[in-house]
Amino acid sequence: MGWAISGSSVAATARDDPPSFFLKPAPFRYARPRFLADALELLGAGEHDVKLLAGGQSLVPMLNLRLLRPTVLVDLNGVPGLDHIAPLPGGGLTLGALVRHADLAQSPLVRERTPLLAEAARHIGHPAIRHRGTLGGSLAHADPAAELPAALLVLGAELILEGPRGSRTVAADRFFQGLLATALGPDEILTAVRVPAHGRGWGFGEVVRRSGDFAMAGVAVVIDRHAPAGSCDSARIVGFGVSDRPMRFADSERALLDSDGGDAAARAGAAVTCDPPADVHASAAYRRHLATVITEDTVRQALARLSA
Amino acid sequence: MSSWVGASVPVKEDLRLVAGRGRFTDDIGAPGMLHAAMLRSPHARIVSIDTAKAATHPGVAAVILGAEASRLSGPIRPLIPTTAVAPDFCLAVDRVRYVGEPVAAVAAVDRATAEDALELIMVEYDPLPAVVDPDRALEAGAPLLYPELGTNVVWHDTLSYGDVDGAMARADGVLRERFTIQRYASTPLETFGALATYDAGTDAYEFWTNDQRPGLTISIVAASLGVPQSRIRLSCPDIGGAFGNKRRPAYLLVCALLAKRTGRPVKWIEDRIENLTALMHACNGVMDVELAYRADGTLLALSVRDIADEGKNLLTPTQHNLIKLGNIANGYRIPAVRYEAWSVLTTKCPSGANRGIGKPFMCFAVERSMALLARRLGLDPAELRLRNFVTAAEMPYTTPPGAQYDSGDYPATLRRTLDRFDYAGWRAEQARARQEGRLIGIGIATSIEPAGTNLASYELITGKRMASGSAEAAMVRMEPDGHVRAAIGDPASGQGYETVIAQIVADELGLPLEGVSVARGFDSAVSPWLYLSGNYSNKFSVTDVGAVLGAARLVGDKLKRLAAHRLEIDPGDLELRDGAAMVRGAPDRRVPFSELARTAYADVLGLPPGETPGLEAHHAYQNPLAAPVDAERRVRSQLVFSNAAHCCLVEVHPRTGVVTLLKYVVVHDCGRELNPLIVEGMVHGSTVHGIGAALLEEFRYDEQGQLLTATFLDYLKPTAADVPTIEVEGMEHPSPFTPLGAKGVGEGGAIPGPAAVANAVEDALSPFDVTIRDLPITPERVWHWMQDAR
Amino acid sequence: MMTAAERLTIRLTVNDRPVEREVVVRRSLADFLRENLGLTGTHVGCEHGVCGACTVLVDGRSARSCLLFAVQLDGASVTTIEGLTPPDGLSPLQRAFCDTHAMQCGFCTPAMIVTATELLAQHPSPTEEQIRDALAAQLCMCTGYVNIVRAIQAAAGARPAMP
Repeated sequence: MGWAISGSSVAATARDDPPSFFLKPAPFRYARPRFLADALELLGAGEHDVKLLAGGQSLVPMLNLRLLRPTVLVDLNGVPGLDHIAPLPGGGLTLGALVRHADLAQSPLVRERTPLLAEAARHIGHPAIRHRGTLGGSLAHADPAAELPAALLVLGAELILEGPRGSRTVAADRFFQGLLATALGPDEILTAVRVPAHGRGWGFGEVVRRSGDFAMAGVAVVIDRHAPAGSCDSARIVGFGVSDRPMRFADSERALLDSDGGDAAARAGAAVTCDPPADVHASAAYRRHLATVITEDTVRQALARLSA
Repeated sequence: MSSWVGASVPVKEDLRLVAGRGRFTDDIGAPGMLHAAMLRSPHARIVSIDTAKAATHPGVAAVILGAEASRLSGPIRPLIPTTAVAPDFCLAVDRVRYVGEPVAAVAAVDRATAEDALELIMVEYDPLPAVVDPDRALEAGAPLLYPELGTNVVWHDTLSYGDVDGAMARADGVLRERFTIQRYASTPLETFGALATYDAGTDAYEFWTNDQRPGLTISIVAASLGVPQSRIRLSCPDIGGAFGNKRRPAYLLVCALLAKRTGRPVKWIEDRIENLTALMHACNGVMDVELAYRADGTLLALSVRDIADEGKNLLTPTQHNLIKLGNIANGYRIPAVRYEAWSVLTTKCPSGANRGIGKPFMCFAVERSMALLARRLGLDPAELRLRNFVTAAEMPYTTPPGAQYDSGDYPATLRRTLDRFDYAGWRAEQARARQEGRLIGIGIATSIEPAGTNLASYELITGKRMASGSAEAAMVRMEPDGHVRAAIGDPASGQGYETVIAQIVADELGLPLEGVSVARGFDSAVSPWLYLSGNYSNKFSVTDVGAVLGAARLVGDKLKRLAAHRLEIDPGDLELRDGAAMVRGAPDRRVPFSELARTAYADVLGLPPGETPGLEAHHAYQNPLAAPVDAERRVRSQLVFSNAAHCCLVEVHPRTGVVTLLKYVVVHDCGRELNPLIVEGMVHGSTVHGIGAALLEEFRYDEQGQLLTATFLDYLKPTAADVPTIEVEGMEHPSPFTPLGAKGVGEGGAIPGPAAVANAVEDALSPFDVTIRDLPITPERVWHWMQDAR
Repeated sequence: MMTAAERLTIRLTVNDRPVEREVVVRRSLADFLRENLGLTGTHVGCEHGVCGACTVLVDGRSARSCLLFAVQLDGASVTTIEGLTPPDGLSPLQRAFCDTHAMQCGFCTPAMIVTATELLAQHPSPTEEQIRDALAAQLCMCTGYVNIVRAIQAAAGARPAMP
């Protein structure tokens, strides 16, 4: 039947633990480096269980519940230069890992060059959450129902990781590796993201129980079509909340590309294949159904934008 | 002469609350105070507990276990009359009966350290089989929560009034349905908590707590600690919402034992997971309904089989059942009624008096049945109700089980609701929307809402009278400076008592509102109080008001006697107005209160013969409607009845099943509204509780009795974006039986809300011919219903 | 190598006043405000970032104080309900809350004021939808939100029109 993920990854972490009634964190030591090198050194120290603190909106609840008990908490918020939003030659953006969701959502540059990313950020929680939560934190935490991992996957972004042996770049489709698991090594820090610009044909949607909640299922779509009508030239359709990580709906993409005339969006929706988890909010079958509905809706959104 | 009572006077408490100057239990500290944390458990037998490492952890002052608690304190008495008694101590002793029951407690320098220490307590558990399904708990061979009781069934009985079987046989038809309701709770935003101090010199305890039943709690805690009640002082500061949830003497006892052991004040504040897991849930349950009717829709008989899942509740078992019986007919004339019910223990969080106490489910079952009957008979749902309502002309009307509906015009309430909602207009709009493939639905639900309580009704459960009626006490005192102070034994938790009581007293004594101050909360050393004092059963308008009026009148009468003596006239010629006693019709012949107070307090030789010094009165009041159970097992378990009609509009997303509430109208009648501003707010809030129960909230358990929805991430409360503006209009048919004609309003929309929303969703889904029997109505359930119908 | 500490001295501004304290690093900002500084107007309702009762302004932006450690606020400025209340009387927003009885038990109210303050600063004439959207971040168990929406509308309406 698969693993169970509740409204957040909290329960996923807690699955095998006895019930926790704690809401004050276990003791830890705290460091607030002012240089990335210091942060890396603390991370790599080896004998401690070290956690990085960015926005804290996912991490701190887990600390409070004692689901995580790092011996050292390294606060990255004091390291300068990690919150830039800058244009790339060629049209895309480079974004620092500490860019807050609120800034991502409101930045004129992001809205202009990668509006899908701004839209995804707008869907995260509530303003108080968005004021603290960060791009890097969301990506490193990799909650399967989170918006930003899906946005980066659909946009074909690259993630810059810094480690003791220097920096390396990992493409989004190699970064998200499993349930709360990423390519980030235990001694590495995600410092920036490079996002290519995308075209007019984009769509984003999710189904939630209440506004601001984690998505039961969501989809991000980017479609290119050179001709004013007819079939699409390229399509990337990514679902979130429907697997252990954001996933490409390859069958839907194919169905969309093969569609010439008729209801392409409906065909894309109907072609969705996924094996979603179940939790208290939605069963696997319902999530799968939502995935088809949202795929259809977001593809329609994207096609409408293309034709506009 | 204008009156304060009935006016939308601004709520005085708001002035401090809006500035963050409220004083809640966790805001209170004491020198040397320690913080407690509770160790909670799986459902198991306790084999051994080793606290050595915890006790010596730096910052820890004491650790206490159940075995020790059971030697240092007595078992906790139930809050209501019951015959199912088994020893229950403030901490589990040899076994735990639900996941989350406390087994040990630590007092330390701060909460985080206390939690660190909890992790050092080594407990060996022998897991016990859980029983989470009440049907299973009923069965022979089910795991027993209390083997000494021999059963998980605390109560099973059938109460029958009139010839139900005969009516069923003669009927043109009988509607039969099974309904279920989930566990949910009002979850006040402030959690439960207590600060206990022990004075070794006087062998006395002091508590600060947000417990809403101080009268009972003092009695239970004193008995358990083995001290006379006079050595317990209990105070309630501002309370951040209660809704029936805040009453758990066990926690006060744990704090008291730790305070005595350490010689320091000990504070424990429940955290949210503890609150959701272990404080209180409304009973979940199953109800089988049989509704006999004539072809024209006239109701002939109602027969109900009701299983209430109490969790581990020996504090207030059968309360849900008894209250459902008292409200079984809703607002309808049903000549014959039968109620067979079980109160069943399961290995889950204890149930308790959560807002509505069984009435939301009772109303759901009846109002859903009415909606289904209307469909069956091809009648408009409003018309079916109008045919069966008890009418104003029949008031007071006694239902077969003995509930007396005192006043109200149920048909007019419903008609006004439909009018205000624009029922006809929206039916037309619905037809248009359907053509576009949109699923819009209109739901109606009506309700009665009782107020006041009569503990004699528990004789139906226990077979004997162990307590009866209900009562409250009040104090009014004019100070030497002429300012008036008042207090009651009922601590407010957002109802604006300080303002309403001031309105009542100011009216009685002819004072400006600023001339009266009402004590915040409760203080057993200062507030007058009785065993039955507290915040429960909507009793304010029925009981508390009588106590306040009585005390105010005693002071007023004395003021008149003092003035009459001064003016050498008969007291009957005087009225109290504008801070003075004056001759009616001759306002220049007056004596200001400050003068009378001077005589009463300072110049006491000037008192008339036979008068005592001072201007203070206490009055205790019970509403005379309470009466014992009669020979036919009929009783007024509650005393007066408000009524309401809800009408709401929903839209269902045809592909995702998501339900959106578009419009919500409530017309209610709680008799005389003492402060319409406060009343309207109660209706807003209680209706949103009903909406939450209908669409979002559910405590879900796995087979092992573990709560799966133990945080606000998973137990979903309605937000401002989930509900529309609740449009409210009040009608006023005063009660002939309460001191000011006011009736209850505290539970309000929590009662019919789930039924109204369910009726609306079912109406929206009429193209699919769906029948809604279960709550909550989640998008996934809606989707399934649509799928199954295709 | 940089060391990690169990206690730190922090210097921050709270309600426009400089504050310097030594604090255990795992103490939340909410607990620091309430217990170390005696600013009990900020309330704790869930400690996992959902209910919003603990919301304060951090460097001018709303944030859940239960999800911040006090040590993170070194060098920052925090505004609580006490800082949003004038020394004498109440602010126009607070008066609007009282006029419409936009509270009952009062436990969520400080956070509602913080959120409403931020909303009105960004949207001086918010629509009902914008108001409900902003309030969705804050749970209230008593009022059903109706009067809170009305209070914010009244406060918005009472503002002088922007030139």
